[in-house]
Amino acid sequence: METMGIIFSNIYDSHMGALTEIRTSASIPVGGRYRQIDFILSNMANSAIRHIGIITKYNYQSLMDHLGSCQEWDLQLGSQGVVFLPPYSTGHTGIYRGKLEALQTALPVLRNGNQDYVVLADSNVMASVDFRKVIEHHAASGCDVTVVAKAGLTDGKTVHHFALRVDESGKTVGMGVDYGAPVGDLVGMGMFVISRERLISVIGETVPHGKYHLERDFIMEEFNAGKLSVNVYPFDGVALFNQSVESYFKNNMALLDADIRKGLFHGDVPIYTKVRDEVPTRYGKTAQVANCIVADGCRLSGLVENSVIFREVKVEDGAEVRDSVVMQGCTIEKGASVRYTILDKDVTVKSGTKLLGSPEHPLTIRKGVIV
Amino acid sequence: MYFQKKRCVAMLLAGGQGSRLKVLTEKTAKPAVPFGGKYRIIDFPLSNCVNSHIDTVGVLTQYQPLELNEYIGNGQPWDLNSSHGGVSVLPPYARSKRSDWYKGTANAIYQNIPFIARYNPDDVLILSGDHIYEMDYAKMLRFHKEKDADLTVAVRPVPMEEASRFGIMNTREDGAIYEFEEKPKKPKSNKASMGIYIFKWEILRKFLEEDEEDPKSENDFGKNIIPNLLNAGHKLYAYEFQGYWKDVGTINSLWEANMDLLGDEPEFNIYGSNGRKIYARNYAMPSAFIAKGSEISDSFVAEGCDIYGTVQHSVISAGCVIGKGAEIHDSVIMPNVVVEAGAQVRHAIVAEDCVIKAGARVGEDQEGSLEQLKISVIGKGKTVAEGEVVAPGDIM
Repeated sequence: METMGIIFSNIYDSHMGALTEIRTSASIPVGGRYRQIDFILSNMANSAIRHIGIITKYNYQSLMDHLGSCQEWDLQLGSQGVVFLPPYSTGHTGIYRGKLEALQTALPVLRNGNQDYVVLADSNVMASVDFRKVIEHHAASGCDVTVVAKAGLTDGKTVHHFALRVDESGKTVGMGVDYGAPVGDLVGMGMFVISRERLISVIGETVPHGKYHLERDFIMEEFNAGKLSVNVYPFDGVALFNQSVESYFKNNMALLDADIRKGLFHGDVPIYTKVRDEVPTRYGKTAQVANCIVADGCRLSGLVENSVIFREVKVEDGAEVRDSVVMQGCTIEKGASVRYTILDKDVTVKSGTKLLGSPEHPLTIRKGVIV
Repeated sequence: MYFQKKRCVAMLLAGGQGSRLKVLTEKTAKPAVPFGGKYRIIDFPLSNCVNSHIDTVGVLTQYQPLELNEYIGNGQPWDLNSSHGGVSVLPPYARSKRSDWYKGTANAIYQNIPFIARYNPDDVLILSGDHIYEMDYAKMLRFHKEKDADLTVAVRPVPMEEASRFGIMNTREDGAIYEFEEKPKKPKSNKASMGIYIFKWEILRKFLEEDEEDPKSENDFGKNIIPNLLNAGHKLYAYEFQGYWKDVGTINSLWEANMDLLGDEPEFNIYGSNGRKIYARNYAMPSAFIAKGSEISDSFVAEGCDIYGTVQHSVISAGCVIGKGAEIHDSVIMPNVVVEAGAQVRHAIVAEDCVIKAGARVGEDQEGSLEQLKISVIGKGKTVAEGEVVAPGDIM
């Protein structure tokens, strides 16, 4: 069955601190060589979804640069492939407040499409989801909407953006937005299936009435009113939610776990990313590297432990990096030490500088800064 | 179909069998042999073309072409997927009367005269697919134009005592070649041919056609075409190249060229000086994982690797797993090799997709000059059994 994909690139920008000052949350670097959007875009490409709209709001320069012509995903740019959908600004709603409102900009693409279904997805969850299975599950359920959700994450305290409750047969019995869901609830992964025609009519029926929040103003409201049947697709693989700077940091560190890596990067469904033609990483004679993810193009001569090292990072002899996320192009000079820190792209840590965050509150150094 | 005129078309000779590389070229054409962790030999001349703004490249294949064809594909990794030019793979093709394998390097180009002719270039650059080097052909082309040469041959200085192993160009002060000697006993110069030629297209065409008519010819550039041009009084010039260049035609030279990438100031620095990169087809692999308890020093490790063991002075290519307690010294591990726990690999080349089982030992630590080193070689897809010993210099 033909399916169209719609990816929201900006929705969680406000939660990501300095990391989204200069980019969309979709283009936040993650895991050494990836950007957040690589996961959802690769999932779609691997699930034979070729026609994808990427809804953007602002700061999407880096995103466009990253995706280029989309050849790395074996997708193509253009009306039959991947299209960028900047805000629909001829009317009064130039800047949107939520996903429902944002979808207005996708209306022409949705109307011109001939697909049966649409997968709507955020770009901040790292997972390997086979949407063909999700679509089958959706079709078999006969429901109006399917929500991909993950069990086992709720504890009654942690506030989740969207959580759902199912009964023993898997039937959805309740849901809530922004609440501390009790144990047993499933957490929505920001991935939804709906028929294309239904989505078009939903946008027309809700947005003119000031509704903008997809989960709250449409799914939950209409479900509670008995007007919408909601199916839950229980996803049982690895899913890492980057909802804050703290969770982003924790999730990068989680990639040091072999089982988590296996769950995200199993061979037959690769995660694609922009090719940068870097040289393999060169380890110097004095390098001491342990428990790290290391991308290509680095030159490592110092001590590097429990860290995620992106492309073209230089750690000089006598420098120390521990428990940190070091993005592309950073240099850590001799005698500098970095711990529990996120270094954004192209940061230079000068000799003698000591940066120390904490596991719960990592320090973030902005792109291009010399410290 | 309309073909835009090109100033220069490159023809890359990639048909060599590479028999001196033994098992490494048993199933693989030499230009497709992996190099430097994520490259293949052919990436160097192809990237040099792109970096020199040459956008039309014919790759002449013959021996084991399948892997090479697949690798080159539409040329996209090298930005050679243009609709006006780009990269074309040119195998020997069947004609109505006869089907010819390429008899020699000159015959290979002769058979593809129609390919070159449709671009009607001013000059043709002839390249070889088995050298590791980074070179700006545009500079050589400029030299060729300045001298108004009929043929320009790239040369590099070699130590005088080794000059008798090479094809030597004897030149006047301005670089004009007055004599070419193949492996001279008493060399007069140390300017060794690099197998890189720029011909004026009309001259090349004429000499290829004449050479083809000569039944005694071996149809070889070095043996026939260059001497013929000289004898006919054409203008030949030597263009001196100073950078790193290595013919990786033997096991030891291939091993050495890989080792030349290592060190704080490597012999061959491919870290893209002035933005010139070596491009390669990339496979979607996650970043490398370097485990606790591993030790890596003075080495290259590419993406997609999981390293648990010890790696010293070695090149580990994409997608390899080096198990706990395994030791890799002074070796070249090609893509997707698994070295299990406790295995030892020393002074060896392990080709793609091999498995070195737990406790196996390949090669030994050695000292001595390059010629004396006994490099062990494990061919593509082989398994070295648990506890098995592969002696230094053995080829499996």
